[in-house]
Amino acid sequence: MDFTFTKKEEKFRSELRGWLEQNLPEGWLKGNRKLPEDSKLYSQFLRDWQRSLYEGGWAAIAWPKEYGGRDATLIEEIVYHQEMVRVQSPPLINYIGIHMVAPTLMQMGTVTQKEEFIEKILTGEQVWSQGYSEPSAGSDLSAIQTTAVKKDDKWVINGQKVWTSFAHVADRCFLLTKTEKSEGKHDGITVFLLDMNQPGVETVPIVQMDGHQEFNEVYLTDAIATDADVVGEVGKGWKVLIALMLHERSGIAAQVFTLEQQFNRVVEMAKAVQVCGVSLIEDPFVEDGLADLYTRINGAKLNYYRNITHTLKNGKPGPESSLDKLLVSELTKELFDFAMTIQGHAGVLMAEEALFDSDMQAQYLASFGATIGGGTSEVQRNTIGERILGLPKDLGR
Amino acid sequence: MDFALNEEQELFRTAIRKYMTDLGKTDIARSVIDGKLEVVTRVTAGFAEMGISAIPISEEQDGLGLGALDLVPVFEETGRVLLPGIQLETIALAVPLINNYGTQVQKSNLLSKVAIGESTISVAWYEQNRGLTPKSFSTIAGKTTSGYAVTGTKTLVAVLGNPDFFITGAQTAEGKSLFLIKASDVASRKILSSIDETQQIAQLTFDQAPAELLGELGEATQMLDDALLHFNAALCSSMVGGMDELVHTTTEYAKIRVQFNQPIGRFQAVKHGIVNMKLDLETARSLSYYAAWAVENDTADKQTAVHSARSFISKAYIKAAADSIQLHGGIGFTEELDVQLYLKRARYYENYFGSVRDSRKKTAHSLGWHTKSTKQTPVPVF
Repeated sequence: MDFTFTKKEEKFRSELRGWLEQNLPEGWLKGNRKLPEDSKLYSQFLRDWQRSLYEGGWAAIAWPKEYGGRDATLIEEIVYHQEMVRVQSPPLINYIGIHMVAPTLMQMGTVTQKEEFIEKILTGEQVWSQGYSEPSAGSDLSAIQTTAVKKDDKWVINGQKVWTSFAHVADRCFLLTKTEKSEGKHDGITVFLLDMNQPGVETVPIVQMDGHQEFNEVYLTDAIATDADVVGEVGKGWKVLIALMLHERSGIAAQVFTLEQQFNRVVEMAKAVQVCGVSLIEDPFVEDGLADLYTRINGAKLNYYRNITHTLKNGKPGPESSLDKLLVSELTKELFDFAMTIQGHAGVLMAEEALFDSDMQAQYLASFGATIGGGTSEVQRNTIGERILGLPKDLGR
Repeated sequence: MDFALNEEQELFRTAIRKYMTDLGKTDIARSVIDGKLEVVTRVTAGFAEMGISAIPISEEQDGLGLGALDLVPVFEETGRVLLPGIQLETIALAVPLINNYGTQVQKSNLLSKVAIGESTISVAWYEQNRGLTPKSFSTIAGKTTSGYAVTGTKTLVAVLGNPDFFITGAQTAEGKSLFLIKASDVASRKILSSIDETQQIAQLTFDQAPAELLGELGEATQMLDDALLHFNAALCSSMVGGMDELVHTTTEYAKIRVQFNQPIGRFQAVKHGIVNMKLDLETARSLSYYAAWAVENDTADKQTAVHSARSFISKAYIKAAADSIQLHGGIGFTEELDVQLYLKRARYYENYFGSVRDSRKKTAHSLGWHTKSTKQTPVPVF
């Protein structure tokens, strides 16, 4: 058992730290971390940020060197996320492209697809979205109804996607469609690399309960794709989807460290905010609740380290990532729930009037998305029950 | 970064699990309920044979000189079968106390015998209605020509397998102090009826019992707190072993129990209930590994590591057992099934040498939450 990082890993950390200090947007480290509200400016700001990550060699560290990555180890990825969370770096606008689409194309894309897309994904020139969910296909993705029909040498696509993150700023979409009616639930699905800049694609933002607009509805009306846009084989898209999901190996790291950081912020609040001259933390109810949360959040981080160790020894990740996702998302919700409670009635104040942190009330509202997006807690529990514990699959699936 | 037990520790686990299986797993605990106590003596001998009791004892005293992490597989496997006896008290509480505070003579007299399985030692700390950290003990130690004489009554003392020595707390002019007393010098012993019948707890009365000072006078609380880091780390492993077995048996039952023409494990109400047990188990295991690692390496955060682990696991163990009873349905409520024994053991350990509330308080203090807050930089430095 060993919780230290090697010299090489620490060197990697200090190199990244040094780079961040020089290259983060103006004033970022001093706490000026507001992103532009206007969607065009927002998009440009984040594209610029990705461009500078790319120029520094920090946009896609896990990629192979031949594609412009660093061949980073899993531990280096952990260090990377620790540092990115530490400085609360701007979000990666091309997260989907870098962490999911490009690695999938490297594995199963055609030569042309690799040449056309991978570099543009890395530089941020081309931003990607993913089109999976539909109004009638949420947790049950196999129920998608968007169709792609071959007419002459073109595919004509009709249907509606929902919860499509980044669609309003994206150039391309990793799109799941139904190309044939089939017996098996997972048959007849085809993945297209759809060009978003065409008349048949209409994007409508969804306003979330926290007021943000991170997701979109995408209406596809006779949208056009070609054979060259198909990933893998026609009708075998489910396999492509599974391959893509397996590439998402390090997303949980950022969530684990972010949760830890958010927790520390709540403790800071409990120490700083006083009622009648006494800090909240001196209230045994607050102390007890925070000690409990500390323990479980630290436990989730340690679980993640244990699972990483397992992955390193076995060479590939197992279903344990469901466990990490479930714990971290549920704890995020619990943390902000408790943070609201201990603020007393003044906890209803938000933004500039907030008791301690202008963002905390919004984070509380946003936390409800954590246990839904990326697979609901219920779906994660099914996965853990079936794939880790070996319990029988339920009859619906 | 490597967060796993090493290969030898896993091999050791396999050996201990086999030994426990050979002894009939929870049959050992059930023998104790039936009053067949000789099985405990057999286990003590077996432990010595396997080198278990020698693990934390230094080579000078015929031990192996190993650390807290090597005890993890041991106590997970004994906890898995609810092994009765005072292995935890001897190996993880008395041994650290003697190791840390005993004189050379005390170490060679006591520890070699523990290492080779000829002696077990328990700790007689509690007094009636005084809690874990009394202002003073009612048990008194007076100076004699050859040492001390202790008079008073102790309660909640684990005595299964008849320990040869007790480490006891008694009041002196200097404050609360620790003493070693031979079991043969105990004036009277009354076995108390307990919810966990696989263990044995007693009230002990000392009447001018000859006693030898352990460590410094007036330092009993400090010494106990320190040794409890070892004890709690080991206790956590024991509880994790129990939780692991609960998750396993509940899962297996849900696979074979058929209702409405299907295994009940297919129903999400049941499946998700077991998954929740599994989540707690994984968190408990991670916390207990880390606690043992922190104790073994004497890290700066060992207080936090141990107390936070204990606070979570004490509670989670009870919940796992309670949920397991519910998920088993009617059979879970019977004496025949072992699940009830796990619930009783979990309850037995809940407040043993510290409550969940105590552990959380200590976690908060060790994290510096009650010290004056220093100004934070906008970007924290890890």
